Amino acid sequence: MMQSLEVISVNLWQILISLLNLLILFLLFKKFLFGPVNNMLAKRQGEIDARYEAADQAKRAAEEDKLLWDEKIGTVKAQTDEMMKKAQDSARRQSETIVSKAKEQADGIIRQAETQAQLEMKKAEEGIKQEIVEVSTALANKLLAREINADDHRELIDSFIEKIGDGE
Amino acid sequence: MKQMTHRFKMVDIIYILMMIVPVCFGIVLKVLTTPASDGISISGARIYMTLPMPIQNLPITESQVNSAIVIVAVFFLCLYLTHGIKDGIWLKRHHFAEMIVEKCTGLVTNSMGEYFRAFAPFITAMLALSGFSSLITLFGLYAPTSDINIVAGWAILVFILITYYKMKCGPLEYVKSFGNPALMAPLNIISEIATPISMAFRHYGNVLSGSVIAVLVAAGLQGLSNMVFGALPGFFGKFPFLQVGLPAILSIYFDIFSGCLQAYIFAMLTMLYISGGFPLELYEARKKKRAQLCKN
Amino acid sequence: MEIAISIILGCCALGAGFAMIAGIGPGIGEGNAVAKACEAIGRQPECKGDVTTTMLMGCAIAETTGLYALVIAILLLFVTPGMFIDILMNTLG
Repeated sequence: MMQSLEVISVNLWQILISLLNLLILFLLFKKFLFGPVNNMLAKRQGEIDARYEAADQAKRAAEEDKLLWDEKIGTVKAQTDEMMKKAQDSARRQSETIVSKAKEQADGIIRQAETQAQLEMKKAEEGIKQEIVEVSTALANKLLAREINADDHRELIDSFIEKIGDGE
Repeated sequence: MKQMTHRFKMVDIIYILMMIVPVCFGIVLKVLTTPASDGISISGARIYMTLPMPIQNLPITESQVNSAIVIVAVFFLCLYLTHGIKDGIWLKRHHFAEMIVEKCTGLVTNSMGEYFRAFAPFITAMLALSGFSSLITLFGLYAPTSDINIVAGWAILVFILITYYKMKCGPLEYVKSFGNPALMAPLNIISEIATPISMAFRHYGNVLSGSVIAVLVAAGLQGLSNMVFGALPGFFGKFPFLQVGLPAILSIYFDIFSGCLQAYIFAMLTMLYISGGFPLELYEARKKKRAQLCKN
Repeated sequence: MEIAISIILGCCALGAGFAMIAGIGPGIGEGNAVAKACEAIGRQPECKGDVTTTMLMGCAIAETTGLYALVIAILLLFVTPGMFIDILMNTLG
């Protein structure tokens, strides 16, 4: 029959061996369970971090782009505003000058027309006066039996015609 | 997900075999070496051979062999769980391995602090070794944890670690910590020495009491069934019918529950003693001071 | 000779029995712990898991004294008789 140990028996070498057993198992766990798993976790964490980093960078770039665009749009708007204002101003000025020129021309034309009309009126008056004088002299000649000389009665006739002119 | 190659599957099967073969070897050894009529005897581990060594002879016993079996099986379990984790193949057991690692790291950092993060594999190894050593009784093998030498070895390792971390602030601080109230110095020294002894005896006593009670109950039930069914002729008279159900229920408590609980408590106490004995703030203050001195 | 051996055996058994009186202590202590744990769970049912684990651990630690007694009792029952009888045989020759 095989021998057995007592229920409690202390043996130094056995204690040492079991101590070393625990140490060995610790090393095995460290190398073969915790090592690979922690490596894998670290790798996965790295991937996730990289992805987050990329997303953050993209977001930042987009924000920068947006800022840039905003600025650009602002400047463009200001430029267009200025241009519009300039154009409007120049247009107004042009139109004003055109209008004033046209007015001047029109005024000139009107004045000319007035002077011409007056001249013509005067001419016509003269002509009418002449005619009236002639007609009246002819009439008077016929009526007053030719005694009256046209030159002699000129003053009389003039006053008469004047009266007629005033009476118009 | 990459396709699993034939080679991968073969390696898997080898790992699984290497987990099972040691246990089968242990069972075969146990069956071969157990004498036919054991009777009720409460004795320690069986001695397979004795090696001559200085100071004391080294008997190679069941507990040594069984703890070696546990170590080999757990090692191949580790390999099996992490197999293919580097190649980017994703399997369910990797989740399991990850869960173990994260749970144990969380346990260690919760009860010891962030400084002791490197202790996670040690605590896991302790949990696994102690737990599986107790659970090996489910295969009918002798539990290494019911041998005082095995547990004493772990407790002494823990004691060494405790002392190392207490010594980290210099031997003077270590000596000072005993004489905190000067009168209590002898008691402090005794309690310091009592730590590994109480840890060893706690674990050993729990597992041993389980096996003692199991043996006693089995023997008692055998006697009882002999008394009750002894009059029956032939096979029925000799077969211990009463032994069928009850020991299994006892085994659930003493082998599974108590074994796991004791493993957990052993690991927990290890963590508490190590982190409780280490004056972290003092150590960091010293470190800072020393760094400043070096700069100057 | 037989009388001496039987005295040794009887005293060892008596000693083992007395040693197990220590079982009272952990019994009372664990009962108290479980009672308090029940109270705690009754007061705060949401902490059930934490309370249960802490209680189990406390119980297991409180059980230690009882286990020391058990170890002593086992020593007295299974180890010491043989040892003493050996010593007796050696001295008597």
